[in-house]
Amino acid sequence: MISMALEALWTEKYRPRKLDEMINQKEIVERLKQFAKTKAMPHCLFTGPPGTGKTTAALCLANEIFEGELAGNFLELNASDERGINVVREDIKNFARTISIGKVPFKILVLDEADNMTSDAQQALRRTMERYSETCRFILICNYSSKIIEPIQSRTAIFRFQPLNPEDVIKYLKYICSRENVDYSEDGLNAIIEVSEGDMRKAINILQAAAATGFVNEKSVYRVVGKAEPKEVLEMIKLAWNGKFIEARSKLRELLINYGLSGVDVLRQLHREIMKTSSLPITEEDKVKIADIIGEVSYRVVEGADDEIQLSYLLANIALLGSKSQR
Amino acid sequence: MLLWLQKYRPRTISEIVGNTNAVNQFADWISKRLKNDVKKAALLYGPPGVGKSLTVQVYAEQFGFDLIELNASDVRAKEQLMRIAGTAASQLTIFGGAKRIVFLDEIDGINPAEDKGCIPAIIDIINKSNCPVVLAANDPWDPKLRPIRDLCVLIRYNKIRSPTIVKFLKEICRKEGIVVEDRALTLIAEKADGDLRSAITDLQVLTEGRRYLRFEDVVWLPTRNRQYGVFDVLKELFWSKTALQARLVMEKSLIDHETLKLWIHENLPLVYSDLSDLVRAYDMLSKADVFFGRMNRTQNWDLLPYALEFMTAGIVLGVKKKPEFVKYQFPQKLLLISSTKNSRKIRDEILLALSEKCKLSRRKALTEIFPYLKVIIEENPSTSRHIGEWLNLNEDHLKYLGLKTSKLKKPNIKIPDLDRY
Repeated sequence: MISMALEALWTEKYRPRKLDEMINQKEIVERLKQFAKTKAMPHCLFTGPPGTGKTTAALCLANEIFEGELAGNFLELNASDERGINVVREDIKNFARTISIGKVPFKILVLDEADNMTSDAQQALRRTMERYSETCRFILICNYSSKIIEPIQSRTAIFRFQPLNPEDVIKYLKYICSRENVDYSEDGLNAIIEVSEGDMRKAINILQAAAATGFVNEKSVYRVVGKAEPKEVLEMIKLAWNGKFIEARSKLRELLINYGLSGVDVLRQLHREIMKTSSLPITEEDKVKIADIIGEVSYRVVEGADDEIQLSYLLANIALLGSKSQR
Repeated sequence: MLLWLQKYRPRTISEIVGNTNAVNQFADWISKRLKNDVKKAALLYGPPGVGKSLTVQVYAEQFGFDLIELNASDVRAKEQLMRIAGTAASQLTIFGGAKRIVFLDEIDGINPAEDKGCIPAIIDIINKSNCPVVLAANDPWDPKLRPIRDLCVLIRYNKIRSPTIVKFLKEICRKEGIVVEDRALTLIAEKADGDLRSAITDLQVLTEGRRYLRFEDVVWLPTRNRQYGVFDVLKELFWSKTALQARLVMEKSLIDHETLKLWIHENLPLVYSDLSDLVRAYDMLSKADVFFGRMNRTQNWDLLPYALEFMTAGIVLGVKKKPEFVKYQFPQKLLLISSTKNSRKIRDEILLALSEKCKLSRRKALTEIFPYLKVIIEENPSTSRHIGEWLNLNEDHLKYLGLKTSKLKKPNIKIPDLDRY
């Protein structure tokens, strides 16, 4: 199963293959190792922020339980891809209902980004989990366990993954640097820690991007981070705030159509920019007002049909607040 | 029975009722066209029955042109178009003095799926033609007509005003010796809604076999189902005074809700210059869209009336400032979607490869990996080969990721950076 082609992205190249290689999450790793040892496990729910090792842990666990006999016994699906939950549901059923191959006691199905499933889809999943629990164990992975319906939570062992601690991330980054012959400075690595906030995937991505410039230091790190973060969102807010609604809406279209972001992702980035931005004279009071509207709009984006219309409503509000504050 | 339409048909362009400006504009264009210093084609557009075809036909008769006329929504149109494209338009008239006008009527009736090649054939005719090419359509803003539209002088025909229609009908009645109540004629004109042709027909039908016409005789006259063009719909919508009027706009048009929603969305900021009005209007459109979302998911179409009310009455009522008079814009979203089709396909293929290799959804691949991948390739282009092999990408993909030069093959060609986002 494991691809022999050399991984071009370090996040994949340096993804741990064994539970022992995992960074942090000590208690979780200990318990998972028990599962591997006894070759027995319940349905699991892995929850925690991005880049903390949830998917990696699931892969390592399956690898160790199956001792390499992954083919046919292991399936990884992503719940949030647009090919539709119905397809996913069919795939799950087809996989779960047949008996495992070889000496393995059960199959493992990993369902990533499960918090993006509607509660109806989760209900259906719950029935599948119950029905085929003899032949198949489920590992559900999500960022927010609160978005998983209670009946599923009660049927799974829940593992909460914590953001990684800075020292361990630095240690791992240094290890990668030595393997890849990357020149770095301490302040460069510290900058990565600062920006990545305990997200290992982000940390390694930034490291690789900074390394591509030739040297990892504070300057190159901030440069690549600046480049990687889409500036369009901030530009869009600025245009709206300054009353240029039509131009702001064009930027929105770029983000949604050309760039391909979902409405929810645009909203999330917009929220982050509003809260942190110092490049706009938005008062704290106005920030709260905007946050209020963002909350309403994120509900409407989920319920509505056209993200662009929903977010245009938000931009119109920002434009109105901007015009009032500048009066 | 001689149709009054024929009997009272104008003989010269100056006798044409209504749309004097458009008619003059057309005559102007033709005379300039013969001296070759304007666009080769003219597109006459406007609602039915206001004299578009009539202008062309009367002009041709009056000034001695051969009229090569073709109705583009005719089933055999394609074949005929091709033939015209091949011959008439490009042939110099051999017989001394004979002048030609090629007239393609109802070009918005072309179905691009069924009549493949019609639009290119028309474009061909326009480009090759030595003689004036005139086109007519009700709705010139139909996306499929865009390539044609760009080649044409646009001449707009408006609905004919009710008093003008009444005056003309009165004249007919006088000549026919029919006694008629003014109220009756006004009602006919109102029901005709700017369409002189249907008003004349109605008058003839109503007075057939009698010498008088009273108001009561007209009341039963059914209103025609007008196929409002999208511009009329928007105009009537934004200027509606009552909820019912705004809501009824939808009934009058054949435009589907989704499309109208996009048109409204596009034009809201043009129509409402006051930001608090804009916020109010968007609030309503956004709520309508929430209903559409729920309907799509639950198939509960009982919600439709509420969605439509938010989208029409909700938007236009309660604004403080009057709407602006503007030229309504085609929804840019639709243009953007079609113009970015290729680059979006390439982007999605990259995301699919990333999602498989990095074990996350495409959506997350876009936000978590993609930006860094681009920076890595931009900062160190030599890594692109390895990345390309690993993800099984081709040159188009790598270009999309920002690789500036294509593998040394064409080192001098600069790749436009249009698709970076």
